[in-house]
Amino acid sequence: MTALDATTRPGPLGSRHGAGGPSPAPRRRPRSLTHRPATGVLLIAPALLLVAFFALIPLLLAVYISFTNWPLIGEYRFVGLDNYIQAVQDPGMWKALRYTLLYTGIVTGPILLLGYGLAVLVRANRRGATVLRTIFFLPYVIGLTTLSYMLVLEAQPDSGALNRILAGLGLTDGSTAWLLDGVLGTIVLSALVIWAVPGLTMILLLSAMQGVPAEVYEAADIDGATWLRRELSITVPIIRPAIGMSLIISVIGSFLAFNQFFILTKGGPGTDTTTIVGFVYNRAFVELQLGSATAVSLILVVFTALVTVVQFVLLRGSDE
Amino acid sequence: MIGRRSLLRAGLALGAAGTGTAALAACAGTLPPVDTTASDFGTAATGGVTVWCRAATQTAIQAAAESFNALHDDLHVTVLPIPDAQYVTKLATSIRGGSVPDIVDFDLINCPLFSVREAFADITDLVEALPFRDALSAGHMGLAGYENRLYGIPFIGDYSTLFANTDLLARAGLDLEEISGSLESLMEACRALKRDLPEAAPWTFPGNASGAMGFTIQPMIWAADTDLIAGELGDQTGNVLGNDVVEAVLEFHRQLWVDELVPQRAFVEDGSQWGHDYRSGEVVFFPGAYGSAVAEADEAFRPSSQNVLLPGPTGGRATFSGGDNMCLLNGAPNPSGAWMFMRHTLELDVQRALPDSGYMPIRSDSADAAFAESYEQAVLPVTHLDEGYVPSTLAYNLLYNQSTSPWLAMIRRAVFDGDVPGAMAEAQSEYDRILTQTQL
Amino acid sequence: MSRRTATDRRAVPYAVLGVILALIFSLPLLWSILRAFQPNETILGTPSIPELFDLTGRNFAVFLSSDAVMLRPVLNSIVVSLSTAVLTALVATLAGYGFSKFRFGGSRLAFSLILLSMMVPFQAILTPLYLLMNSVGLTDSLPGLVLFSTNFALPFGIFLMKNTFDTVPQALEDSAIIDGAGTVRMLTEVLRPMIIPGIASSALYAFLTSWTEFLGALTFLTTERYFTLPIALLNIQVGTYGEVDFGQLVAGSVIAMIPCVILYVSLQRFYVQGLAAGAVKG
Repeated sequence: MTALDATTRPGPLGSRHGAGGPSPAPRRRPRSLTHRPATGVLLIAPALLLVAFFALIPLLLAVYISFTNWPLIGEYRFVGLDNYIQAVQDPGMWKALRYTLLYTGIVTGPILLLGYGLAVLVRANRRGATVLRTIFFLPYVIGLTTLSYMLVLEAQPDSGALNRILAGLGLTDGSTAWLLDGVLGTIVLSALVIWAVPGLTMILLLSAMQGVPAEVYEAADIDGATWLRRELSITVPIIRPAIGMSLIISVIGSFLAFNQFFILTKGGPGTDTTTIVGFVYNRAFVELQLGSATAVSLILVVFTALVTVVQFVLLRGSDE
Repeated sequence: MIGRRSLLRAGLALGAAGTGTAALAACAGTLPPVDTTASDFGTAATGGVTVWCRAATQTAIQAAAESFNALHDDLHVTVLPIPDAQYVTKLATSIRGGSVPDIVDFDLINCPLFSVREAFADITDLVEALPFRDALSAGHMGLAGYENRLYGIPFIGDYSTLFANTDLLARAGLDLEEISGSLESLMEACRALKRDLPEAAPWTFPGNASGAMGFTIQPMIWAADTDLIAGELGDQTGNVLGNDVVEAVLEFHRQLWVDELVPQRAFVEDGSQWGHDYRSGEVVFFPGAYGSAVAEADEAFRPSSQNVLLPGPTGGRATFSGGDNMCLLNGAPNPSGAWMFMRHTLELDVQRALPDSGYMPIRSDSADAAFAESYEQAVLPVTHLDEGYVPSTLAYNLLYNQSTSPWLAMIRRAVFDGDVPGAMAEAQSEYDRILTQTQL
Repeated sequence: MSRRTATDRRAVPYAVLGVILALIFSLPLLWSILRAFQPNETILGTPSIPELFDLTGRNFAVFLSSDAVMLRPVLNSIVVSLSTAVLTALVATLAGYGFSKFRFGGSRLAFSLILLSMMVPFQAILTPLYLLMNSVGLTDSLPGLVLFSTNFALPFGIFLMKNTFDTVPQALEDSAIIDGAGTVRMLTEVLRPMIIPGIASSALYAFLTSWTEFLGALTFLTTERYFTLPIALLNIQVGTYGEVDFGQLVAGSVIAMIPCVILYVSLQRFYVQGLAAGAVKG
């Protein structure tokens, strides 16, 4: 029982040899006594300073501004909760919020399903799987902004590829102004997002899927279960955290959607395709009502956080 | 441990409070006013002058800056182009931040926004002292003024006129002057053109371009001595509902659409290809600007492109006095040098060169013989600067330029949906709402 | 043995589905590349099929000619994105190490704050951020934009690096410490092989986010000289410099697309690995 023995016997927190590779979050390993806390503070300091300056302090300032009337230039005046009250009574804000929820509702399901499907296709690691995986993820890498610029051209009446194809197939006369109508514009935008984003879902689900041991599937094979049945009863429950995470990321992204709407329809016609962030942008930079805009965006932050927490709880709920 | 954590938190909080208050304090009020009364103000200044300009009109001001810099060894003008959509916010935020350029050259409709809040230097005396004061465009000067003082000078003009392809008119045996006295006679002419020249569209308008239509259709309303806005700056309401002239103008355009006197493209044209069809000879009448109707056209086309001022429903003439104003900022680093450059841009040789960039002078005395020869379609508006008008309001951008504007909504509803009364009622309430929202 | 039969039975549907999906995902991109080589008459008109292939390099020439307004934004974007990638990798690695291996008061709080910043829509804090940056002279400058972009990519990078460090066995560190390694040597020599994938992923992610960063550049940059590529594209689209030149717009988009594709394809091993590891372990 020397001191040496004490350090070489496996400790109560499990083996110290060899990390387990991709697995559920490792339990906290015992910190070495020689890691000085002060060094830790130094290490995180740059990150903390950056985040504080570029995100947290502006957030606090934003809260402050939301209680003022912040005019274009000149003195500002405290108005208390006026901006919030006015926002809640503003039909324009509710319209934008409803539209954002509608849009989120339209795209979330297909993104998840498509992403899941792509992951299923790629996970077996057959020949060509890597190529496929690369291609499927490519649109996401390029980014919605650049893709939107490309789509502007193709959605033009008469000359755009969309219309040419439809005209060629004899479905329309090719003069549809996709981006000038609320419904058509939403269709185009949703199609763009559903095409571009599932690559991310695929990646997120892929490694989780690859972590499911083969024996589990073989057991089901013997029982003669169909593919779909197998997926639903085995794979899905096991990779539930990954599904949850990709849903949360997807929903937050949809709530905060802006760039593609700004580029393709500018929120039009009128305000028919204006998302809530688009509404905030207009309020702040076109109507020059900064106090009101900040109030609305803070409402949005709270709303997003709430939805995220709810999702988190629902998706983790029956695990523990 | 406890000591370190609370130290961290305290440090963060202090830092937050410090930077926060510094930022807000720096953006409380306005900048110190410029004193233009010094005896040597505007002469022999040295150093640099920074000018923000509209990206859309930068060629004109670059040329002026170049000629200015060539004349002065120790005074140098730098021009920074700013995209139109962000201009107002950028200017406002930099005023708040305390670091402004010397001069802003921007869309004249933005002037009131800033002059009512003391952002610009009072240059009344300097301007009144100019020998050619009376030749300066009335429309521009109107927007540069506030409460009987002047806060800017005109720089570039962009006047809307009714262009016509006189070759096509001649083929139908029509004379521009005769038929363009009123919208009524123009409608008759269009019907005749449709009959006699089936391959060309008689008229065109960009049905999805709020700003461009504001530029060309509003004068038709002003020609009858009325406007869509009533009241003084800062205390205005809409003047749409019950306005017979507005109704007549909307009906005119409705007829054009229903009788297929305009190309189908009018429904979607958002200004990105404005004038394209006119320049390629597919359209006869084109309410537009010198740039899109002449400067951008082929040399061979230009002589047949003639213009008249825009008429009202039953008569009258008007033009939209658009373009840029130039204003000196309070808090400018080099106000004396800035005024020297501003003065330079008003010189006849600078003004006379503007049509090369597609714009027009703002001095009515610029139209001499040489000018008339090179820029014949510019002569008419330039010699009628007194008939130029542009509304002075704090809400111009929101009312007429944005794609969400009530102006655009009204036209589209009246012309394409056919609901003129509904369109006017809706516009009235939207105008009122926006104008109330942007009161001082 | 039973596995192989299952594999063969599925081979054909897999191949068919794979090809169809591959086409669906890649054709639009390839089409846009073709578009970029078409003259404006083709782009804006309704040409026949053969005419579609009448190609010209005009859109790119206009874009990249030395006196054009476009070469500069491309260079600016490259400089800003590379700097952001490097800075993010550096700061995220340090912070990830700190959060993962070190215990100190307030570390949970600090980490939560960083995660919180991910949920704030940037548009909400746009103006206060502008005022803040302006007060220290960071607006209208490329370094300012770099710092801003870094902050944008940071939470994800820290998340990623923390998880990476979490998988490093304590034994490895302990033996290095016994050998007398300081923090710097620990990171640059001892742990380097294990954390390189994570660093590469963070850097790549930061590059891509910064490359397409749109609203920030729009707000913080005033001088045209500093404009980045997305801003230049916006200006083309709204016709700031005159009539909208769609040919230029599409050529610019293709140029915007290229670095993303190249970097991604060549480093995808790291990227995919990093993204998956970072997210799932949430």
